[in-house]
Amino acid sequence: MNTVVQVVFFIISALILIAGILTVTARNLMHAALWLIAGLFGVGALYLLMEAEFAAVVQVMIYVGAVAILILFAIMLTPDLAGESDTPVFQKRWLALVVAAGIFGLLIVPTVFNYSWGLYEVPEGSTLTIASTTKLGISFMGVYLLPFELASVLLLTALIGAIMVGFEPGTRRRVLTLAEEFRLRQKSAISNHKPEEERALPVPVQPDASSEESNDRGLRRDESRQLDP
Amino acid sequence: MSIEFDQGKAYTVDRGAPKARNGQGMLAGMGVVFKHFRDAMTKKLDNPSEISGVFTVQYPEERYKLPEAARNFPILLYEDASGQELCTSCFQCERICPPQVIHITQAKDPVSGKAVPAIAEFLIEYDACMSCGLCAEVCPFDAIKMDHEYELSTDVHGGLTIDRAGLMRPISYYEQLAPSFWAEVKDGALKKLQGAIKRRSGLVGIAPQMVEVLKKREPSIQESGVGSQNTAIQNPEPRTEPIELRTQNPEPPSPPTPLPVGEERRSRGEGIAATTEAATPVPTAPASSITDTTAPATAPAIPAPSGDARAEKAAKLVAIRAANAKKNETPEGTP
Amino acid sequence: MTDLLRSIIQDAWPFWLISLIASLITITIIMLAAVGTMMLMVWLERRVVARMQDRLGPNRVGPAGLLQSIADGVKMFTKEDIVPRAADQWVHMLAPIVVVSPVVLIFAVVPWGRGVSPSDFGNGVLFVLAISSISAIGLMMAGWSSSNKFAMLGAMRAVAQLISYEIPAVLALLSAVIVSGSMQLARMPELQGGWPLVGTTLGGPDLGLGWFVFTPVGLVGFVIFFIAILAEGERTPFDIPEADSEIVAGHTTEYSGMKFALFYIGQYVLNFVLSMVATVVFLGGWQGPLLAQLAIGNLAPLGGLLSLVYMLIKVWGLFFVMIWLRGALPRLRVDQLMDFAWKLLLPIALINLFSAALWVTINLWGSSPAWTIKVIIPVVSIDLLGWLETASPIVRQITALIVTAALNIAAIRWVLAINRRTEDEEPEEAMLDVLEQRVA
Repeated sequence: MNTVVQVVFFIISALILIAGILTVTARNLMHAALWLIAGLFGVGALYLLMEAEFAAVVQVMIYVGAVAILILFAIMLTPDLAGESDTPVFQKRWLALVVAAGIFGLLIVPTVFNYSWGLYEVPEGSTLTIASTTKLGISFMGVYLLPFELASVLLLTALIGAIMVGFEPGTRRRVLTLAEEFRLRQKSAISNHKPEEERALPVPVQPDASSEESNDRGLRRDESRQLDP
Repeated sequence: MSIEFDQGKAYTVDRGAPKARNGQGMLAGMGVVFKHFRDAMTKKLDNPSEISGVFTVQYPEERYKLPEAARNFPILLYEDASGQELCTSCFQCERICPPQVIHITQAKDPVSGKAVPAIAEFLIEYDACMSCGLCAEVCPFDAIKMDHEYELSTDVHGGLTIDRAGLMRPISYYEQLAPSFWAEVKDGALKKLQGAIKRRSGLVGIAPQMVEVLKKREPSIQESGVGSQNTAIQNPEPRTEPIELRTQNPEPPSPPTPLPVGEERRSRGEGIAATTEAATPVPTAPASSITDTTAPATAPAIPAPSGDARAEKAAKLVAIRAANAKKNETPEGTP
Repeated sequence: MTDLLRSIIQDAWPFWLISLIASLITITIIMLAAVGTMMLMVWLERRVVARMQDRLGPNRVGPAGLLQSIADGVKMFTKEDIVPRAADQWVHMLAPIVVVSPVVLIFAVVPWGRGVSPSDFGNGVLFVLAISSISAIGLMMAGWSSSNKFAMLGAMRAVAQLISYEIPAVLALLSAVIVSGSMQLARMPELQGGWPLVGTTLGGPDLGLGWFVFTPVGLVGFVIFFIAILAEGERTPFDIPEADSEIVAGHTTEYSGMKFALFYIGQYVLNFVLSMVATVVFLGGWQGPLLAQLAIGNLAPLGGLLSLVYMLIKVWGLFFVMIWLRGALPRLRVDQLMDFAWKLLLPIALINLFSAALWVTINLWGSSPAWTIKVIIPVVSIDLLGWLETASPIVRQITALIVTAALNIAAIRWVLAINRRTEDEEPEEAMLDVLEQRVA
């Protein structure tokens, strides 16, 4: 490879590695998330180095622009955030290091070195080009149509599931206008024959009794329904 | 739009379906704003009740014209040509002033020592004045009016206590401020001024600003005017810079010692000198520039109609006093 | 710039060095232009909004108040930079940087005039969208690191607004991408020459007015994209995050001095650059009358200059509309904002995407073997779109216009009716139990 490319590659890889290490070892959960974002950026830069522009941009857009924000939101809702508890759950860090080194040494290293990755130097004058976005799109719609559709169905399922989880049928937040609420109360009082004191809520009497039947979702008006003459 | 009255319990106002479609209200609003924008580029408003156009008054290059009835701080009036002050020292404004910022010292006749309807000193503490305008309302002689001047900030401590020289303005000044107001009261005020001149000629106050002018105009008055020879009791040049004054009320001047009987024929000059020494000057701060103004006498510039009349009056007064003194002796003597 | 430098230096230096220097020069020019533009924008906004409110704007500093931005800059420079003690120092310092840097990055792919584009990125549109979504992370960082409840809340609301409005923006841009067939931003103005409505299909003199906004798909797409960039740039009526009466100052509560100035600069520059993107994609970018005639021969530099002038006029015009909206409209509430994005803009954008696809289909039917999928109704075997295969370009164009216009109008009316229906429907059953809960 070109020397400049190699140098840049090493820089970016160093960035990714450092970001990865700091992600795992940071005390502060927010800092860990931010280091993760840095690492994701680094991966995008690697894609760009390999001239896979589409992959780089999509990496930034999806991972940094959507997934990372989701992670940040989730972290915000975590109670213990700033790493104040200095007692981590697992005390024996050396054991974790041994396990990690073992997995890395026994699993990843042989795989990387023994598998033929199919890398080759592009000979001069060849007409091979890196797949452009257009070709990517065509292959999505042609060869890889089924995985594409399955992925979209999966996303749709996730979307519907999220809405179902958060949906509470009783508290649809539409604010009633005064007249509507009054009519509703009348109807409920007539239909349920509720006594007077149960019907009236302890609300302050407002002298202004006019209401607007417009479509604005205005402020809730706690006005008394009884305007005694 | 229809309103239904539901047995006095609730009111339903039915405005009907909104006529505007989606987005039209917003576009109408944008149209209004654009009209304002277009007008603001071309029009400059003088009347704030117009709808559009720039109504910024770029102070201090432009100043908003105040209405006639605007009140800021009081000023005293004097007639333009003759310099005669309208104020007769009736103390009504001092009485009615709610924060009590007006301090008046009545002038004394240099000859007889009696109080005359003219002012010796008139102080208003502008920094405590609340601009209520009650003094102007209550003045029977239309001598004190409310000014429109508001750029009075100063860094001199005590610089907002204004004395008579600083308060005097010509009537033309007030006329230009509030023409219709002055037109209403003009006749009455001037009539009263003429009456004052007729009755007490020579004792009507002269505005300090006009003293030099009048002296130049008629130097012959110098010889015949009351107290003209004693420069100490004439008012000096009008004051332009603020003066250092105490804020407390000045002590009321002690009553003048009555002229001894038999000395009424003394020359005017000596009589005046005696009166000056005897009368307590209006108490002032140690600033030396004030001492000149504290003389209770006013400088007459109008030639007295007859000096003899004054002398006769003075003689009458002395005689009355002598008679009173004799009268008082007898009750004391009676058991 | 690279070519220019190369022609000057003539291989004396290695290529990468020339390329690097060229990039640095371009970056410097862009940064200066961005900051200068921002100052001009602030001045214009203050003066125009003032005139709309029947008053003058700042007119003391410099002629007509032009130096007011510099005075504000000096003020912000000299303010003390306060960092709360409980704040996370590093994150607090990095947050403005993370908010502002992507904004300036977008300048790299936007063409300023004919042939004037800092870098010819193959995926310009996608790049713009990706980069503009990074600012949201900076906002979160700002809100969290201030360790201030209001800042946190404001940041969450701001990020919710940003990511909600990204989606209609993406879809609107995608409809333009579908119609133009490429993601290169520099290519889009080139495709928008010709006549309004019909583009270049009619032939005749090139008026340079075949802008995308004059087609039904483009019009709807432009409106959606414009609203979306109002929300992305946090301008009225979507300025909840930055408004003073809302939640103190939102995510910028704990920022003072230069950092706050950075947020301020970033917001204005973001608005400018997104207006540029909108202009390039929908309003024809640097296209305009007389441009095609000037592109030949000796007058080419003049043509380039004219193209720059057209571009700037359009962008500043768009910014004027933004200011106009700011002067006219009140602020949307947060839930109204979210409803608008998800319930109104998103469905219309989706259907607009479909219209864009129809447009391309009708225009290109039969032009290549891939485009002749026979649409056959089973009962009666009619070849639905076969008649298009032999039609002339103008017939196709007009057919496409009619079809997409009908579809878009129907879609908009339908979506508006749905939204109105949810407001109008009788709430009896739904609310009765709510009332019972309250009474009980």
